[in-house]
Amino acid sequence: MRSLAQGLAVATLFASPAFAQIGNPAGTEPDTRQSAPGIPAPHQTNAQDQLFAQQAVIGGMAEVALGKLADRKAHNRAVAEFAGVMIQDHGKANEKLASLAGSARIPLPNEPDAEHKAVHARLERLSGAQFDVAYLEAQVQDHQKTAQLLQWEINSGQDAQLQRFASETLPIVLRHLRMAQDLASQIAGQTPRELAPATTGMGHQDQPRRTR
Amino acid sequence: MSQFLKAIGLFAAAFVSSVAVLSLAAISDPLPPDTTYRPLPTRPFSAVKADDEAQKQQVMQRQASLLNRRYDMSDRPIAGVMMSGGRKAVPGGVRVKLQSGTTWENLAEMSPDEIRQRSLLPEGFLPLPHVKQATGGQVIPDRQIDDIRRQEARDLRRFDVNFDLPDHLTPEFPPPIFLTTQPHLGDVSRGQLLTIKNFYEVMNGIITPVQMEGLRLLLTPFPQEEFNQTEDRKVAEQSTGITCLDCHANFHTNAAFHLTPDVRPQAARFRLDSTSLRGVFNQQIHGSKRSLRSIEDFTEFEQRTAYFNGDHVSATRKGVHLPDRTNQVAMMAQMQNIIDFPPAPKLDAFGRLDRARATEQELAGEQVFFGKGRCNECHVAQTSFMDNNMHDLKLERFYQVGHTFNDFVTLPDGPIKTFTLRGIKDSPPYLHDGRLMTLADTVEFFNLVLGLRLTQPEKEALVAYMLAL
Repeated sequence: MRSLAQGLAVATLFASPAFAQIGNPAGTEPDTRQSAPGIPAPHQTNAQDQLFAQQAVIGGMAEVALGKLADRKAHNRAVAEFAGVMIQDHGKANEKLASLAGSARIPLPNEPDAEHKAVHARLERLSGAQFDVAYLEAQVQDHQKTAQLLQWEINSGQDAQLQRFASETLPIVLRHLRMAQDLASQIAGQTPRELAPATTGMGHQDQPRRTR
Repeated sequence: MSQFLKAIGLFAAAFVSSVAVLSLAAISDPLPPDTTYRPLPTRPFSAVKADDEAQKQQVMQRQASLLNRRYDMSDRPIAGVMMSGGRKAVPGGVRVKLQSGTTWENLAEMSPDEIRQRSLLPEGFLPLPHVKQATGGQVIPDRQIDDIRRQEARDLRRFDVNFDLPDHLTPEFPPPIFLTTQPHLGDVSRGQLLTIKNFYEVMNGIITPVQMEGLRLLLTPFPQEEFNQTEDRKVAEQSTGITCLDCHANFHTNAAFHLTPDVRPQAARFRLDSTSLRGVFNQQIHGSKRSLRSIEDFTEFEQRTAYFNGDHVSATRKGVHLPDRTNQVAMMAQMQNIIDFPPAPKLDAFGRLDRARATEQELAGEQVFFGKGRCNECHVAQTSFMDNNMHDLKLERFYQVGHTFNDFVTLPDGPIKTFTLRGIKDSPPYLHDGRLMTLADTVEFFNLVLGLRLTQPEKEALVAYMLAL
């Protein structure tokens, strides 16, 4: 498993970031300081950036906490390996996001929202194969929502660094989503639903962890 | 950072102590409202306009840089091949650029997995971004803007973006008009762009009263997301709006583009190249994604979609035109239903080449089309080279999804409608988003995506054949 940082380097190369994000000025906050006409100064956020950072941090923290739970409780070895990937990737993403949010003075939540508390509580009560199915189901749902949230920030935000973070994180989240879907299919005894399973994607970064 | 780690600790502790028994559905928050709905502007029009104008040069440079990285944009027409009106040469040659170290031949030998893993898919095969994705909206080419200003004194020029493709990679302008009801007349356009100012003079005596009223409505401006009277517009003055034929110029296309109304969030909405309305009478499904089942549905719903991005909430504020289904829609549909394909003198009644008229290369191309190339399996000759179905080419086998190009997130296309190939030389660029500049590009695209392994003579024959359709 390649680290998230390496994954990001690949993503950055592929996306050729010669030009920064260019948002829709209709969504710029009225109090935005500009570094050049039409270009928000660094760390100048709008409501979307702020909400994005808060929502993404809640999701990211939950990924790590649920990953730790799954690492402890998973029945299937592959599920535990997947949980390890979640702990590692989301841990790094959380740090980066916290640092960006700090620079932009966005207050971040320090406790979970009700939705993730409920998921955690439900998973606590399950064990064996039932746990694996429920964990993966929750992972699929969470990564689906996160993918949409990241896309939203890419066009709706105004803080270029947060937008770039969203751009760089999205391919990884989509890969996680596919991994969770493929694992769920595997456990249910189905063939993967796509022609290009995530586990044979872009080099090592697609490979699940081999050790526990 | 330590504060953050503490937060994670608290978070985990809260999990453990939680005894929530509510069902997930009851407490799950939806995503933010503007992931689906259009937000209202946060600032006055003048401030937004000033910033948009300041950004414009950078926006256009960024798009030009992407286009030049992906394609050879030069003016290289096919010698001696003109579009149906005889006013513009058909652009030729493969324009999509290969990744370094690859050739079309060795690429065709690789598996989709290998191409994806080594990032070798030519970037020009990926979905094409809008010139300004975060804003999106309709972008009209200069010739159309100039002609509408001259005839109607209506302004279609956006202050935030310009049209991004060179004129030589777009359809001839104005396009000729062929009518199913008057085949003996040939092109009835008189070389003019049909507008609300000239349509009666051009068409009286040629079409019926019902068709005339339909045409009037198709040429009448109505408020649209970027062209309207509110502060949420991208044109300098308060605008009376856009007409159907501002994009479907003379019922063909001028290559105006916008974003699909069928996808959210905004970053994932793919570009749409305006489709030609020629031969729409034989078409059973409409819209790249929506598969609307009649031209009447399409005509009615475009006021919700082409005009307002599938956001009826925004439309209500700006002043939506909802044509009366049994009266106005029917007339607009009847007008569109008499727009014919351009003549194809080498085709017989079944859409097959007349051996007495076709060249050897065209006949060879037809063989590939119906054989090794498998083109006919979707582009069925007998039904105007379409199958009235949607298909998923699964291009994402060849690239890693989710990367952002010019604020546009590259995701799988999913099923897209089969477009007709009749008169296809008249409507560059190609595919639903205009990502391919020439017919030669389309041959390389399908050669790879369908794993056809065509030879160079077979590829050239296919292009020659398509020019005859």
